[in-house]
Amino acid sequence: METPILILHPPAESYVEVFETTILDRYRKKTHAYLSTSPEVPLKKLLVAGIGNCFSITKSFRNTEMQSNIHNPEFTMIEWYRIGVPYTEIMKDCEDLLLFIHTYLLRTREASDQQATKDLIYQGAHIDLSKPWERFTVSEVFLKWANVSFEEFLNFDTAKKIATKKGYRVEKDTSWEELYNQVFLNEIESHLGRGKPTILYEFPSSLAALAKTKAADPRVAERFEFYIEGLELGDCYSELTDWKEQEKRFGEELKAIKKSGGTTYEYDKDFIVALQSGLPECSGIAVGVDRLVMLFADTAKIQDTLLFPVEELL
Amino acid sequence: MMTDMTFVNPGKGSAFVRTKLKSLTSGKVIEFTFKSGESATELDVITREMQFLYKEGDAYVFMDNTSFEQYNIRETLLSDFVKYLRSNDTYQVLVLHDEAVGVRFPKKVWLKVTESSEGIKGNSSAGATKTVETETGAIVTVPLFIKEGDTIGIDPETGSYLERG
Repeated sequence: METPILILHPPAESYVEVFETTILDRYRKKTHAYLSTSPEVPLKKLLVAGIGNCFSITKSFRNTEMQSNIHNPEFTMIEWYRIGVPYTEIMKDCEDLLLFIHTYLLRTREASDQQATKDLIYQGAHIDLSKPWERFTVSEVFLKWANVSFEEFLNFDTAKKIATKKGYRVEKDTSWEELYNQVFLNEIESHLGRGKPTILYEFPSSLAALAKTKAADPRVAERFEFYIEGLELGDCYSELTDWKEQEKRFGEELKAIKKSGGTTYEYDKDFIVALQSGLPECSGIAVGVDRLVMLFADTAKIQDTLLFPVEELL
Repeated sequence: MMTDMTFVNPGKGSAFVRTKLKSLTSGKVIEFTFKSGESATELDVITREMQFLYKEGDAYVFMDNTSFEQYNIRETLLSDFVKYLRSNDTYQVLVLHDEAVGVRFPKKVWLKVTESSEGIKGNSSAGATKTVETETGAIVTVPLFIKEGDTIGIDPETGSYLERG
């Protein structure tokens, strides 16, 4: 599916800063517009309309995502949805997709190089892409690498105590999500996907605004990410189909955007109307195409996969 | 002292800052990710142009190009950069409370190849390569066309070959 880049209502996500622009009509009457941050909303509208399994490969834009080896404010995203399946099926898609790309590249290479290794090599490390990949829940990695009981960490007061004991700075306005990420980034992320891809699943619900919660434990959501050599490549949900819950979460996100001084906009009422007529049960994932190129071209910086990275234009 | 920083946006949530921190006493480098907005003390580090003179025991002796004062930098604080230091060349030296605490890595250092092995590592996807030794003793992986006596540009941060002079 080709989805629009120029949009009127970005999906309300407080952690994403948008690019703002203006549409002028013939009388130069102004309408606020934005550059798409992901093809999610148009694809879900098409799912409601009955398009079935679908995908989009498109440019997406996220402002302020600079000064980083794995972000460019303009990037390419592949997003796909499957109807009537849980997110565990998308995990298999990811395994198949990466194996397919790797096998294809090996075929084109082997003709000219008899000694080529069959492993994927990224930044000096050999990676075994064969199925099944390693699967860990967030709770498991917290115990394994941070020596933290996630059960206890889910309680904000306990999390503050654990973080303070570990030497992190906990201030009045420090949020639970910040503590979670700081432990994750400092103690866990670099261990993921070493020698073999890691699928990290069952995220805390508060970190999965558009995902369904797990029926047996509503504190965690059906969301997964996959990592290779510490590089995060994709983010998947069992999609939230409840329009009331979606509208509530958009409201909360917009409040958070206002509070943090980000660019404000109205949420997409048309999307809520679409959800009211029924989004089929489905799972979807977004994978960063530039990061896939980084992986298979063996580059440490996303800028090296782009002919005109934004930072070089400034 | 912070020697490197990059922003991180985890899938969900606010931004974080991943840094490399270097101990000014031991030279040890650790990685730490801060929450965006956390405060830190600013060090009074200034940069001075200095000429590298010679090595004396564990110390590398530099001379300030304007005051002609001499400064010693301990090997641990220079870490891998010692492989690229050439006598009489000028470097940006970091000075804290009148003590030299390190060198700001240039983007590129130019060094002469003094020894070139014939060993060939076949890897056609990246082009054929071999290793050479520079006048300062650094071992660098280069394309096959590099010969003894050539001057090559090296990225001291990664130790990788950039171009032929």
